[in-house]
Amino acid sequence: MRNRAKLAGLLPGVVGGLMLAVLVFGAPAGAYHTDFQGHCNGSFLNLGPITRGESRNYAYSAAAEGYQWGGGCWNNDNIDQSPGDPPGDPNTRGEGPDCSGFTFKAWYERAETPDPWFRYHYLMQNVHGPYTAADFKYGVGAPNITVAKANTIFADAFASTYHIGMIYWAQTGYNEDRIIEAKCEACGTGTWPRTYRGNPDYSGARRLYWS
Amino acid sequence: MKRSWRWPLAGFVVGGLVGATLLTVNIVGAFVGDSAGVVGPQVDSGFNGEILHTPPLLVPRGQPVELGYEVVCAPSPDRPGAACSPKGSVHVRGVEDRDFIDVPLAADRDGRLSATIGAGYTLGAGFDYYVDIEDGRGASQSLPGAGRDSPQHVWTVAGEANVDLNEHVFGRTRAPDEIVAEMAWGSGDRQLGLSSGPEQARIGPSAFDVGPERAVVVLDQVNKRLVVYPRGGTPRNLPIPFDGGEGDLAVGGNGTIYVLDDGGAAAPMPVVRSFDGDGRPIAGTPIAEPVADMIRMGPDGPVVHSYPSELWFPTGIAKPPLSPARQIELARPGRAAEGGLEVVVHASPRQARFALVRGGQVVSSWLVTSSTSLGEVQLAEPYGDGLLVVLRLWTESQAEFRVLRLARAGLAGSFSVDRAEWAESASLSRFRLHGDTLYQLRSDSSGTEIAAFEIGGTK
Repeated sequence: MRNRAKLAGLLPGVVGGLMLAVLVFGAPAGAYHTDFQGHCNGSFLNLGPITRGESRNYAYSAAAEGYQWGGGCWNNDNIDQSPGDPPGDPNTRGEGPDCSGFTFKAWYERAETPDPWFRYHYLMQNVHGPYTAADFKYGVGAPNITVAKANTIFADAFASTYHIGMIYWAQTGYNEDRIIEAKCEACGTGTWPRTYRGNPDYSGARRLYWS
Repeated sequence: MKRSWRWPLAGFVVGGLVGATLLTVNIVGAFVGDSAGVVGPQVDSGFNGEILHTPPLLVPRGQPVELGYEVVCAPSPDRPGAACSPKGSVHVRGVEDRDFIDVPLAADRDGRLSATIGAGYTLGAGFDYYVDIEDGRGASQSLPGAGRDSPQHVWTVAGEANVDLNEHVFGRTRAPDEIVAEMAWGSGDRQLGLSSGPEQARIGPSAFDVGPERAVVVLDQVNKRLVVYPRGGTPRNLPIPFDGGEGDLAVGGNGTIYVLDDGGAAAPMPVVRSFDGDGRPIAGTPIAEPVADMIRMGPDGPVVHSYPSELWFPTGIAKPPLSPARQIELARPGRAAEGGLEVVVHASPRQARFALVRGGQVVSSWLVTSSTSLGEVQLAEPYGDGLLVVLRLWTESQAEFRVLRLARAGLAGSFSVDRAEWAESASLSRFRLHGDTLYQLRSDSSGTEIAAFEIGGTK
C-alpha cells in the first residue's frame, strides 16, 4: 500500500521532469539542430585573379560535405555534420552551402555586385552571397555572364531558375559532364555525372576575369 | 519540506535527468555523425585529390591518340584553392606485348597533362594503359587505381558502320504505345516522392527496371522504398534502407533487386544493396570508387560504372557480394553482355562510337554523327545482331531523345521520344530495354509515368 503511494507520487514527477527536459533541451535542438554555423566565422581576403583550376580545387574542398539552404560554411572533413535536416529551412543552420552560395564562394566572388574582382572566402566563412541560381542563369552581377552551353568548359556552370552546378570535368565517355554542386539535403555537396548540358531548363553561366 | 512532496520531486528530478540525457545523446550523435557507415577504398596513397581523364576506348586504326589528364589538388589548410604541380607518366603496352613502356606526360600552361600515343600502337587491335601521377607534394596515385593489374584499354576500329543523323528535326516525337504505370507526386500509397525546394535540384524517382513477368520496379528513394508494379496487378511498396539523394536500380532474371545508393551526404562511398522480390535485404557491398552512376545486369551479376576510372565493376550475385578489392581486380572497360560480348561506348558532342567487342577484338562498331549536338548516351543494349541505342539531341533551347536500331550494316530504324524530364532522375536511368519493349521514365509537374514503346521490325 505504501509502495503504491510512493509510485503514485513518483510517476507524475517523472512525467513532469521529462516534459520539462523536452521543453528546455528539445525545442532549441529541434529548431537549430547541430547549429554547425555557430562554429563558423566571417573571414575573407581580397585577391587578384585566380585560375579556373584554383577555383576547382577550392570547390573540391566541399565534396562529401553537407547541403544547407542559405548556408555557406563547411570544414573539409568529408562528413556532413548536420545530416537529415528538414529541407527548405535555413534556420536549421547546418553544414554546407546551397547551390548558388557554393558557386559564389567557389568563383571567389565579392558580395558587392558591381565589383567583378576576386575574394577568397575561408571555408568556414558563413557567407552565401547575393546571387540565386536564377541570377547566375541570367548573368546578374558584374563578374557573371551567360554563355552558350556548347562553349562551356570546366569551372563554367549550368544554371536553371532553381539550381546551379559547376563543370568539374566536361564530357565523360557517355557524354555527360561531371558536375560539382550542392545538390540537396540528402545528397549533400559533391561531384556527380549530370546531363544538364542538354537540358533546356539549364543555361550556360560563366565567371569572367580568370587569370 | 512536507514528506508528501518527496516522491513527486524525486520523480521530477529523475525524469528531467533522463530526458536531458536522451536528448543530449541524440544531439551529440547527430553532430558526430554515423561512423559505422560504408567505408572507402582500401588504398590510401596519401593522394588527397583526383585525377580526371576520359578514356578514348574506341579509336580509328592507325591513328595516334592523345591521352589527356587534369589533376584536382587537395586543398591546403592555409589557402585551399592553391594549385599543385603534378607530373607523371603514362604506361602503355600493345595487346601483343607483355611489358609496359613509359611515356612522360607533358604539362601545358594551364597544368593540363597529356601524352601522345603513337600510331604504332593502333595498327593492331589496340593497347592497354594506365597513368602514375605525383602531385608535387610527395603523394602519388594511379589511374585506374590498380595500375598495371587492371589497366584501361583502347580498341581500334576499322570499317565501322557510319550512321549520319544529319540535322535533327524537333517536334516529331512518337507517342508511347502504352503507359504501364502512372503516379502522382507524394508519399502516399499510389504516389512517388519528389525532393524539391528553393536553390536545390528537383529530384523524382531515381531509376526503374523491368523484372520477371514484366513487373516494373521503381526506386522511390525520396520515400526510401521500392514500388513494384506487377503486370495487371496492384502496386506494392517495399521499404528499404537508402542513405543518399539518388541511385540506380537493376533487376536480375531471378527477381533479385540490386540498388545502387550513391551515399549522398550520409556516406562517403556508394554502396550496392540486394533485396529479394519482397524487399527483404540480402547483402550489401561498397563500390571501389567514390562516384557511381549506373548499375546494370551482366551475365554474371550486376556491374557498376564508376569514376574516376570509368570502368565497370562487378559486385557479385547477391550473397556474398564482391569486396572493393575484388571489384578492382575484375573491373573492365566495357560492359559485360551475353555471349562473351562487351558493349563499349564513347561519345562526344559531334560523334558517338559504339562497339560490341569480344576480348581484345571488335566484333561490330558504329560511328554516329549529327550536325545537331549529341548529348548523353542513355542506353546501349545488344539487340538482334547489333545494338539499340538511345541518345539525346539538343540545341540551346530544345532537346529530345532519339532511339536508334543499329544493325551490323548500319541504321535499321529510328524514332524520336519526348524528353519528359520535368524532374531529375539518375542521369542515365531514364530508359530500359526488356525484350522488344523500350520503357521510359517520364515526369511532369503532376507526377511520373512509365511509358512503353514497342521496337518491332526485323531484328
